[in-house]
Amino acid sequence: MKSRNIGIIARKELSGIYAEKTIVFAILLQLFIALFSSFLMIGLTSMYDPDALAGYQGVEYGIGYVGEEGDLSRIIDDRRDLALYNLDLDSAIALLKERQLSAVIWVPEIPPDDPGPVIVTLYTLQNDIQAAVVEVKMKEAFLVYEEELRSVRSNRLIMNPIQLNFPDTGGRSNYYEFVFGLLIPLLVFMPAIISAALIIDLITEEYQSKTLETLLSTTVTYGEMIWGKILACILIVPVQSAAWLALLWINGIAVQNPVQMLLHVIAGSMVLILIGALVALHYRERTSAQFVFSTAIVVVIIFIMSVPYNPLNLLVRLAVGTIGSLHWLILAGVVAVAVLLSVLLNRYAAYVSTLPLREG
Amino acid sequence: MLRQISVISRWELRRTLGTMGRGVLPAAIILFVLLILASGFAASSGVHLQDGIYRLGTDNQEAGQMIATDSRFTVFTDDGASLWENREFFDIIILGSEVYVHDDEKGRAALGALSLVYESYTSLINAEEPDLYAAYPLWIDRRYEKSLLDFTATQAGQRISPVPEERAPVPERPVVPVATPDVTIPYEPDQLRAEISRSAVQDDQIRRYTQTLGFESETGTFRTPAQLAPPLPFDSIILIFVFIFPLYFTSQFFMMSIMNERIERRGEILLSTPYRPSAIILGKALPYFLLMLAISGLIILISSLPPIIILPLIPVILFFLAAALVIGMLARSFKELSFLSIFFSTVATSYLFFPSIFANVHVIALVSPLTLIVLEIQGDAFTLADYIYSTALFYLTSAILLYAGVVNFNEERLFSFHHLIPRTIEFITAGISTKYTLPSLFSLGALVIPFVFMVQLMGLVFVFNLPMPLSLLLLIGFAAATEEIAKSIGIYALAKILPGGLGWRHVIFGSGATALGFLAGEKLLLFATIAQVTESVFGSILFLSLELLWMPFLLHAVCLGVVAIALKAGGLRMYIPGICCATVIHAIYNLAVIGVIP
Repeated sequence: MKSRNIGIIARKELSGIYAEKTIVFAILLQLFIALFSSFLMIGLTSMYDPDALAGYQGVEYGIGYVGEEGDLSRIIDDRRDLALYNLDLDSAIALLKERQLSAVIWVPEIPPDDPGPVIVTLYTLQNDIQAAVVEVKMKEAFLVYEEELRSVRSNRLIMNPIQLNFPDTGGRSNYYEFVFGLLIPLLVFMPAIISAALIIDLITEEYQSKTLETLLSTTVTYGEMIWGKILACILIVPVQSAAWLALLWINGIAVQNPVQMLLHVIAGSMVLILIGALVALHYRERTSAQFVFSTAIVVVIIFIMSVPYNPLNLLVRLAVGTIGSLHWLILAGVVAVAVLLSVLLNRYAAYVSTLPLREG
Repeated sequence: MLRQISVISRWELRRTLGTMGRGVLPAAIILFVLLILASGFAASSGVHLQDGIYRLGTDNQEAGQMIATDSRFTVFTDDGASLWENREFFDIIILGSEVYVHDDEKGRAALGALSLVYESYTSLINAEEPDLYAAYPLWIDRRYEKSLLDFTATQAGQRISPVPEERAPVPERPVVPVATPDVTIPYEPDQLRAEISRSAVQDDQIRRYTQTLGFESETGTFRTPAQLAPPLPFDSIILIFVFIFPLYFTSQFFMMSIMNERIERRGEILLSTPYRPSAIILGKALPYFLLMLAISGLIILISSLPPIIILPLIPVILFFLAAALVIGMLARSFKELSFLSIFFSTVATSYLFFPSIFANVHVIALVSPLTLIVLEIQGDAFTLADYIYSTALFYLTSAILLYAGVVNFNEERLFSFHHLIPRTIEFITAGISTKYTLPSLFSLGALVIPFVFMVQLMGLVFVFNLPMPLSLLLLIGFAAATEEIAKSIGIYALAKILPGGLGWRHVIFGSGATALGFLAGEKLLLFATIAQVTESVFGSILFLSLELLWMPFLLHAVCLGVVAIALKAGGLRMYIPGICCATVIHAIYNLAVIGVIP
């Protein structure tokens, strides 16, 4: 196998990718996904963790209170973001519907030490973004009230859970886990999947467009053709992944071990690309090959994800810096799988190259 | 015609089964079995994606064991002094029952995760208390009221209620008596216990997603304060996996079947038959359409969902097939086919998925047919108006794409392999007759409307979360650019196919005709469907005002004229500068309409 010929094939495929602007689509696609994530981060964190959005702070929401004044009304009144009005139920609901109030609670007269439950009815508007915010605020007030009631009734409790006292710091980030635990492995690993799909297209196209004959009539051998295509596919992986890491870094999200992460991505994508190449060689027809490959990839990814210390989990751990030198061992394992698959591919390619080009 | 379609369908079916049947079926069966095994394995062992991202040190053995049940934490047990010494190493340290947090973003994330773990632990313990109402003294009865005002007022979470004042507000409309709620819980304590234990472990990722389908709280409207939560955002993603992916997958076969006709001019045999292109395309699409319907039906049956949710899926199926047809006809090579289809699927999926996140929160969610499914599963039946509102654009765009496919299904288009953008323009020029220029420009102007709406609604979904002034400005620019590009496609294609370039006649009357068509299409579709959105501030930017028709006409015509003159004066390369100019004019006009510029 001549490395020069492999290089020629790789260059041919890369220039094809460039000329067809397919890579532009790949980048657009990934940008689109990034756009989602920013959408998710701004939109969802603000909705489900309303404190995350400063715009909501300092705003007072009107709450209609129906019932005798008591501990709950005091708790709500003490909050600066909720304003309490004593009303009767009918007009409170009418005001809620007119949006002059954000929520209404109906509080029956039940003593705190009653043997039964204290039941409070909470009315909010359906399909409303503000109701979602108010509900979270009311939940905080209810939790305080629940704790008070619980301590009144504590002599009736017998279980003893472990006590933990949490520090009184305001911020609890839920965006960190989303970015590092989901977004980064997704973005960094996406190029690997794209490349694996690409190798199938490159190989099956030679067969289906009948260009293989012409190619093999030159000095290029069958094996060199396959490895040239694999090289082209693998080369574009680290470029894209590194671009992602750089973009995230510009956005102030710095991962801890970028180089090691790239090594893992390259090794993982090598395995996927080799599987893709094997499937493509077997079917030599795009529809079947892509179908079988994409199903296989789903199986592989589901399986991989449910194994502890899987490569994707390692990407996460590397990004947050909570893994020691153990990951080198797993990297070696993935490389070993890739080598094994390469040997298999070479054998299979040698067999396939002896088959007639045209069937039937 | 019907006979032609059925002949082609049967032929297509036979051929696909012939090529696929031999090698793929056994592999598919094996993979399917493996898939079930893998899913089973994943369900029992859990997802190990975020394992060990936090480090926690403690001298409290009991607490350590409790926390170690969550795989996100790596728990180190040691004596307090040495833990404190290495405190830089840990995100959280627990000494006795005191929790100390490393003061950075990661530490706060770890604290959030820890407090959830602790909450679910205490809930599980408390649910075992013999006196349930001592452990859970407070129960909230959750009721929803329908607002009398509509969507127009609450967009972007913007506050419209008056700032609370000292005195209680007074209702403006007549007060209707409301039934006083009951003061008893109509459930047995054991039911409540079961529900508390269940919701305590609910945060488990996989379980949360699988519960979305057909799940309802066991205790009706009653909740403990800890269980109160606005609907979870990611739940509708399960619908994507369950419904949309299989449909997209199947549409790939149709795409490939179209592509196969083009390789080595195999489709010539079909074209040489006396069958019409429309019959060929419909016939080829029919088996896939039926297959996709059957798949959806099967999924609905298996997950015992209400059968009516097949209705919102039909336009989605049609849309996928129509897009598959056009992509299959446009692509030059397999890799281009792959990328176009992946790109399309991502865009389409996000169009379907993102609005549906807000199914319970916002009317904008109805942009996506998936929202209807989410609502139906929740037990809120959708109305005919809702259905038309969220599916009309899908039906229309599918029809137009299919039409474009039929018009271009000829030898010249199928077997040419130009670059992507020139090919797309070629496809569009098929709709322009050089003889009847003005009528064809008029209808092209009207036909691009559904696409413009889709793109703009997508933009609306994206920006409506941003703070108010910024979102308006972004939307204005985005909407103007989309409209200008869509409108001028006809003129651009005309400039390309006319041998001598555009004449002044084309510049003036062509712009007028396209603007008229655009306006007609816009108004027609608006009245038919999305009145709800159009009445909002955002709507007035996107769709202009409905009263004064000559103003928007003038705007469209002038903007088009700018592009046309640019094309006439500088040739095709002046197109992009022309578009930029027109966009600026359009944006300024829109700013004036909403009163930012007097």
